[in-house]
Amino acid sequence: MAPAVIVIGALLVLPLGYLIRTSFFIGEAGLPAEGGVTLANYAKLFSDTFYIRILGKTLWLSFLVTVVAAIIGYPLATFMWRVSKRWRGILTIIVLSPLLVSIVVSSYGWLVILGSTGIINNALMWLGIVDSPVKIMFTDIAIVIGLAHIVLPFMVLSILAALERIDPTYLEAAKTLGANNLWTAWFVTLPLALPGFLAGTTIVFSLAVSAYVTPAVLGASGPNFITTLIYQQFVSLFNWPLGAAIAAMLLVVALGIVFLYVRLFSRFGGAAVQAQVADGAK
Amino acid sequence: MSIYLRLFVFALILFILAPIIVVVFASFSATGVAEFPPSTWSLKWYPHALSQDLFTEAAVTSVWLALLSTSIGVPFALGAAIVLVRTRFPGRDAIQTFLLAPLVVPSIVIGLSILLAFAAAGIRDVPIRLVGAHVLVTFPYLVRTIMASLTRIDRNVEEAALTLGAGYLMTFWKITVPLIRPGIIAGMLFAFIVSFDNVSVSLFLTNVKLNTLPLAILNYVEYNYDPSVAAISTMLIAFSLVSAVVLERLVGLRRVVGG
Repeated sequence: MAPAVIVIGALLVLPLGYLIRTSFFIGEAGLPAEGGVTLANYAKLFSDTFYIRILGKTLWLSFLVTVVAAIIGYPLATFMWRVSKRWRGILTIIVLSPLLVSIVVSSYGWLVILGSTGIINNALMWLGIVDSPVKIMFTDIAIVIGLAHIVLPFMVLSILAALERIDPTYLEAAKTLGANNLWTAWFVTLPLALPGFLAGTTIVFSLAVSAYVTPAVLGASGPNFITTLIYQQFVSLFNWPLGAAIAAMLLVVALGIVFLYVRLFSRFGGAAVQAQVADGAK
Repeated sequence: MSIYLRLFVFALILFILAPIIVVVFASFSATGVAEFPPSTWSLKWYPHALSQDLFTEAAVTSVWLALLSTSIGVPFALGAAIVLVRTRFPGRDAIQTFLLAPLVVPSIVIGLSILLAFAAAGIRDVPIRLVGAHVLVTFPYLVRTIMASLTRIDRNVEEAALTLGAGYLMTFWKITVPLIRPGIIAGMLFAFIVSFDNVSVSLFLTNVKLNTLPLAILNYVEYNYDPSVAAISTMLIAFSLVSAVVLERLVGLRRVVGG
């Protein structure tokens, strides 16, 4: 175990420490970073509306992605919960396929679907709903669609895990006491699935915030997301200290969400769900 | 189950599979543009894609990278998993969280921090920093699947071996390792996929001479719209599908992914 701790320490903790240190260096676009300690990079991030806008947009789009994933993830999870074991196996492979297929491949697929000569636009024009192609590709809508697709498996698995922990006698009791199916689904199943929603939204939101490929391929060109902004600072503008400061902020946001979640659960009990996040936190 | 729920679920399945289906069809297009459904059919994009060094060299790099980082991680993960599953000591949970931490750190931040730290340490070799980064991102998956299979084996079998006079080392090699082999293989396969598909960590660590396949595809898509990427993608999808079935058979997909 000690060797493993050393490996993670050397490859994760030390480099992260160095990244944070770099964020306090004096930096300017195109110039090598200089040592010394300055808060200028952070001051710039919190005063320049350009950076605030991109950060705000990242949080807003990630929120939308989380909502979409929750809305479409719940029916999918309840369906998987109720079908036979055999069907559940097949559905598991389908639902998890966005994780197993390279993200580059699915982004390329969305390019073909959402492009100006893509399936959606061809269908809309064929149906006579629009006269000229609608711009979906390279917009925020495309980012939300692509991200919701990638994160959906985590939402479904989290909700499904919560559903599977429901004691079947509860549902029978509701039925015996005269509740119809809709009533049971709304007042018994849904509340009992809430821990799964909470776990799912936590994982999904932190994944969405830190996604790079989807905004880079499906979004408008230029920095449109916190991750593409980091990329631009490092690769195009060579302002490493500022890029490191943005990366440090992303790190704080991502870890903060997970921390909040764990705190929330230790307050309300639910050790089982805590265990779930410990092994499902990706 | 109501008909509406069934219809809705069917639509969702279509949504999940849409990009994959489209890519597979587009790869058989005879025209120079990826389209769905293709107006004319052809297999020509497969040899076309496979004849481009850009893709084949990157594919070789990606396979080596995934094999190396997965194999390096296994002994460390095995050791850590055994201690975490078999012993109880103060701070055990903290150490488990620490070893799984690479999962919660955004991968773009991992890539950047490795770039900066390795540069500061004077290590500029692309292969070394790529392997280092990939060992880190695949490690939690190895630990998790190996831990899961260790908790599920019957300890009586090991005790029987010990009682019958086998030493600890012999018991470990002849009993424990064979029992958790499906878990180790599943963990390695999933770690391989995670490494092979990785973009955001490799993004800052490759250079013009040494590129990984996903990054090569990304660069290509930026300037080309022909179906050769669809052809490569279809081959990758086939590999993913086979892996999915293997993982489901070995230990169950959900256990590997964690959920």
